[in-house]
Amino acid sequence: MKNLLDELQQAAALRATRRHFLHTCSTGLGAMALGSTLAGCGFFDKSSDQPNSVGATLQSGEPSAPHPSQYVPKAKRVIYIHMAGSPSQLELFDYKPELAKYNGKDCPQELLTGKKFAFIRGVPKMLGPQGKFAQHGQSGAWISDYLPHLQGVADDITFLKGMHTDQFNHAPAQLLMHTGSARLGRPSLGSWVTYGLGTENDNLPGYIVLASGGKQPDAGKSVWGSGFLPTVYQGVQCRTDGDPVLYASDPSGISRDVRKNTIDAISEINQQQYDDVKDPEILTRIAQYELAFRMQMSVPDAMDIKSEPQYILDSYGVDPNKGSFARNCLLARRLVERGVRFVQLFDWGWDTHGTSASGSIDIGLKTKCQESDQAVAALLKDLKQRGLLDDTLVVWGGEFGRTPMQENRDGQVLPFMGRDHHLDAFTVWMAGGGVKKGFSFGETDDIGYYAVKDKVHIHDLQATILHLLGFDHTKLTYQFQGRPFRLTDVAGKIVKPILV
Amino acid sequence: MKAQWLFIGFIGIAGALLLPSFLGIFEKKVDYNTQIKPLLNKNCIACHGGVKKASGFSLLFRHEAVAPAKSGKPAIIPGDADASEMIRRLTLTDPDERMPLDHPPLKPEEIDLLRKWIDQGAEWGNHWAYQSVTKPDLPRIGTFLSRLGVTVNDETDWAKNEIDHFILDKLKQDGLKPSPEADRATLIRRVSLDLTGLPPTEQDVTDFVNDKSPKAYENVVDKLLQSPAYGERWTGMWLDLARYADTKGYERDPGRKIWRYRDWLINAFNQDKPFDQFTVEQLAGDLLPPRTDGLPDDDQLIATGFHRNTMNNDEGGTQDEEFRISAVLDRVNTTWDVWQGTTFSCVQCHSHPYDPFVNEEYYKFVAFFNNTRDEDVTSETPTLRFYKPADSLKIVDLKQYIQHSAGNPKQAKAVVSQVTQLIRTVEPKINSHDFDQYVNASLLDAKYFGFQDKGSVRIKDVTLTGRPRLLIRWGTKATDASVTLHLDKLDGPVLAKFPTPKPGKDTVQMIPLPSIQGKHSLYMYLDSPKMPKDWVQIKWVAFTPILPGQPQQAVGEKDKELLAILNAEAEQTPIMLDGTGDLARKTHVFDRGNWLVKGKQVTPDVPKSFPAMDPKLPKNRLGMARWMVSREHPLTARVAVNRFWEQLYGTGIVETVEDMGTQGIPPTHRELLDYLAAEFMETDHWSVKKLLKKMVMSATYRQDSKASPELLAKDPFNKLMARGPRVRLSAEAVRDQALAVSGLLSHKMFGPSVMPVQPDGIWQSPYDGDTWKQSKGEDLHRRALYTYWKRTAPYPSMVTFDSPSREFCQLRRLRTNTPLQALVTLNDPVYVEAAKNLATYMQQHGASPANQIQAGFRRIMLRDLPAKKLNVLVQLYKTTEQHYRQKPGEAENLFDQPGLDCSIITPQLAALTVTANTMLNLDEVITKE
Repeated sequence: MKNLLDELQQAAALRATRRHFLHTCSTGLGAMALGSTLAGCGFFDKSSDQPNSVGATLQSGEPSAPHPSQYVPKAKRVIYIHMAGSPSQLELFDYKPELAKYNGKDCPQELLTGKKFAFIRGVPKMLGPQGKFAQHGQSGAWISDYLPHLQGVADDITFLKGMHTDQFNHAPAQLLMHTGSARLGRPSLGSWVTYGLGTENDNLPGYIVLASGGKQPDAGKSVWGSGFLPTVYQGVQCRTDGDPVLYASDPSGISRDVRKNTIDAISEINQQQYDDVKDPEILTRIAQYELAFRMQMSVPDAMDIKSEPQYILDSYGVDPNKGSFARNCLLARRLVERGVRFVQLFDWGWDTHGTSASGSIDIGLKTKCQESDQAVAALLKDLKQRGLLDDTLVVWGGEFGRTPMQENRDGQVLPFMGRDHHLDAFTVWMAGGGVKKGFSFGETDDIGYYAVKDKVHIHDLQATILHLLGFDHTKLTYQFQGRPFRLTDVAGKIVKPILV
Repeated sequence: MKAQWLFIGFIGIAGALLLPSFLGIFEKKVDYNTQIKPLLNKNCIACHGGVKKASGFSLLFRHEAVAPAKSGKPAIIPGDADASEMIRRLTLTDPDERMPLDHPPLKPEEIDLLRKWIDQGAEWGNHWAYQSVTKPDLPRIGTFLSRLGVTVNDETDWAKNEIDHFILDKLKQDGLKPSPEADRATLIRRVSLDLTGLPPTEQDVTDFVNDKSPKAYENVVDKLLQSPAYGERWTGMWLDLARYADTKGYERDPGRKIWRYRDWLINAFNQDKPFDQFTVEQLAGDLLPPRTDGLPDDDQLIATGFHRNTMNNDEGGTQDEEFRISAVLDRVNTTWDVWQGTTFSCVQCHSHPYDPFVNEEYYKFVAFFNNTRDEDVTSETPTLRFYKPADSLKIVDLKQYIQHSAGNPKQAKAVVSQVTQLIRTVEPKINSHDFDQYVNASLLDAKYFGFQDKGSVRIKDVTLTGRPRLLIRWGTKATDASVTLHLDKLDGPVLAKFPTPKPGKDTVQMIPLPSIQGKHSLYMYLDSPKMPKDWVQIKWVAFTPILPGQPQQAVGEKDKELLAILNAEAEQTPIMLDGTGDLARKTHVFDRGNWLVKGKQVTPDVPKSFPAMDPKLPKNRLGMARWMVSREHPLTARVAVNRFWEQLYGTGIVETVEDMGTQGIPPTHRELLDYLAAEFMETDHWSVKKLLKKMVMSATYRQDSKASPELLAKDPFNKLMARGPRVRLSAEAVRDQALAVSGLLSHKMFGPSVMPVQPDGIWQSPYDGDTWKQSKGEDLHRRALYTYWKRTAPYPSMVTFDSPSREFCQLRRLRTNTPLQALVTLNDPVYVEAAKNLATYMQQHGASPANQIQAGFRRIMLRDLPAKKLNVLVQLYKTTEQHYRQKPGEAENLFDQPGLDCSIITPQLAALTVTANTMLNLDEVITKE
């Protein structure tokens, strides 16, 4: 095993060096970073200190070079669609005809004793499913009429219906979902993946975040932060209005040629500075300036969907002049096509308590589904048609589930139908990159209160995603505060039954 | 002889070998803090701690651990490891029984250690940071003679002050040597950026380099400490802790005017207000003894803005009480975060998982803060009001009138005090959201009370003794309506009948009432037959004494003067103010942190793990604040010293500045921390300037920041400090430096926040349509700390350089290094403008390109560029000049701005601009070296 790892490290090092060399000759940028690599800043011998192959190239000032996985991966990239606020599984996927029978009845005391809800107080009423359910595709997947387009791609999807979590407020639950910890400060899933795999495209960040729905997720930038990992692994948020990345445009009167010369000069002087003071941050800075220069071209290009044919725009339902979730789905495809490792989508507005029409499961949830359903289905079809779905993992879900009871905030009847946050059961689905097609895993009880069979915890989901990308989640670690840290902390079991 | 010695030696050795194994008395005592607590935290406490007590067994406190568990017997029997269930469970082989469950077993040596500890009595220790600070002895350095100054020695020669003794001692243990002092240009730039957030001027550097006196460096430091920019720089740091912003936060995030608090900070730092006083004024300035008229000075009230920086939720439909509580809890958590380096917020819902605090203690501490008058009201009341000069004169007149007209001096003082408080803060008053028993009435937009024709409402339990005046702030569109005020019942005796105010803006009115004794509920009934559907909205009511010499049954002349003042426009800043009498609040434990489920009532107190409050201290916020800065308190000084250290050195002595508890990272130099903390409290009487001076005067601080490969390998993060700090500048300093070196920086201090150039589309304010109104003139180039801070959309370039959003207190900014930062300093119009200005300067200060570039670089870095680097820039300049010669249109585009004289736009100036832009992006420029 040790030998295998060593071999992988060597391969990574050689590839990085060779790629680096070619890259240097073709662009003239990064020449100085190469110099330092060859001058022996401990590329090979240092790497043996690392618990695994990743991180070896950290020493080279080229930390985003692609690395081989720890073992053969099924997926090379991820599109993670997070519906911030958490959609109701009971209206969409987890069909509970029994629950309908109890509609309007008081919730039994045993479901409430010892439980803590975000808003439910006293004894709430049970609330039957609002969607009309039917089975779809060869696999017979239950999907409600809220998601007509998704019904058409049911046979590409694996549903995880026995998901459960520990956190019932948005920000901590989102942090747990994306960083493995409900507290601030841990690296996000996308950071771990780019740390482990590097990027396949030198001109784009390896980890890009797109947000829609008018607001950032509740937990803010921390859900794509790099925590204690080097900051080069943090997600880069692209905007859908104005400059896709702030200040990506050169100032008026400074042409690309001039800008290139300035970057070359900055890198050259910074390299001299590095030679003098040996602060490794300088190498990162050199790499970041070069990436910034390339991003100035490649990001606007990748984000410019006007070059897409009309039929593609139509299939996603995209208005090219407006930022939207649908547009972000199309952008996600364009980005993974260009070798971005991890595309994180956040869509805000799925928190359906029943306090307002837009925050209800009978009106608001339907609207959110209408705004997103076509685009998500189109994304899967588009990826499939391009042969990308085989090695791209698509994940869809919220941060927790919703209660089978109708919310009674402050013990009062709310004007609209809504459900409170729920820890014990929700649905996440995955498609592509190494997961079964047309499969359902996990079950909840008759009223959808508890996951009862084939339960999957957040850490299990994370372990499985890393596994599909070719990582043993217990070995993808980073030394911090005197001990190795990992995404799944001390937990996580791979959900093997869903793997191809 | 020899044999005798051998014999004695033998006995000695035998004794040494045998005694411990027989008696165990020389066995080394296991240390709970360093040896046991980490093991328990890592392996046990997640299930057997403050959150979960699996099987009724908790290891958080000794009394819990030795008490019978669910099984009926204790898991730890002090003195008898073999009989202790804990040890048995650690050593079992059956995976269902063996602890830690579902985790790898403990190592044999770890179990041995636990066994030994139990055998020795299973004593709990107090975490080092919870023990009072004692001043440690200085480690000795050098030789006996060199310490006396008789001989020369590297160590004594290097050390400048006490800090260096501790650092050197540790370095020796690790086989390292300190680095030499940085060159003077680098050193003065470092210390200027650290103390003032600005680079020095070239004149400062020349003076320093030419100052041959041994006090040259000290002179520089003293000058920097006296500079007004000093206060601005440290205010910048404190604003993160105070979660200062110019908006209220939450979804609507509308504007808030609290910049006077920011200005108070600048003055406090500049005046070197001792840190204990600085603390007391911010936490409890409103409770300090009044100077003349019932309340402390404006300054001490403004200081309490620290805790009025909590968010306020103006969203419709939100309950004021919920967000009032959320602000109170944030104050508690922030107080602990900032002054105690302790994550107290965990204790809101359960006992602390790792540190020795129980749930109820949290609420006892909440009780200190729970009594303030702010109630998430949209107007942000209570506020301190600043009147226009003419109104201020009227106030003086009114006060003089009261003094002369009151029956006796004591009475005069009481009335003046009460009237002044009313004028300055409009308190005490009852906010209308506290009314109840609505009929035909509503809490409009969940903010203020309103009623319609035939509507009524109750004002509950008001003490009326000696308060025969009702003040009411209200407004309506209805005309010809009137209100009757009933005593005790809706159909009770009528105390007053009065018309609603004229349609238009809200006004404060005064209604004379009959004299009534005792506490009563009052009922208001609205008669509005003409416009029955129009709301009559009430903001607040207050019951006040009568001014001397005024008629009982009518509004007199002086009453009218008072009303005119209360209705005058005044600027305001939010402050803390405690409720008294009817308005005092009780505190209960919230069950599992849920504010709706009230448990046991509690009174204010501090956690038991800390020294108790001096009985002479009042059990209120003021007493709590004084307790926090008492000499015995173990954390306040340590946490403060550690924070200032982190600001200068890049990393704290305890790296986790936010957590000195058992989960924090242990200090690298604990004795140094304690030494500095003791000096800070005792010798320096909490003087921050003296503390900072001590730090920057040390040889440790003055070291060159270059790292040899060996040193880098041995100490990559410079924890041992064998070299000087080398860290990227803060968001504020990156910007301020660019403005300063290009000559754009405005040194204007204080006042409302400003709006420099910002890209479109950053602010999304769907509700109030707030827009970014770009400032004019010098306000475009103020220091970064004056930039308007909107919580939901902070100034983007600052965030890119790791400023927090300031929704909650942020104790430590993690430094990042991303391509987005490069885009800011390359392309943000602010930096392009700085480059243009610098280019003009360069053009005027050199004949050749090389000279011009040198002049520009000297302006930024205060030293010459080495030839090799200069060469790179000269080449860049030449290529670029060539480029602009061929494409003069591009040069014009670069300088395209209205009113600019086109003749000055030359390929040379354009090329110098590009070169300046390049220099402002160099690693060494955005780094403190």
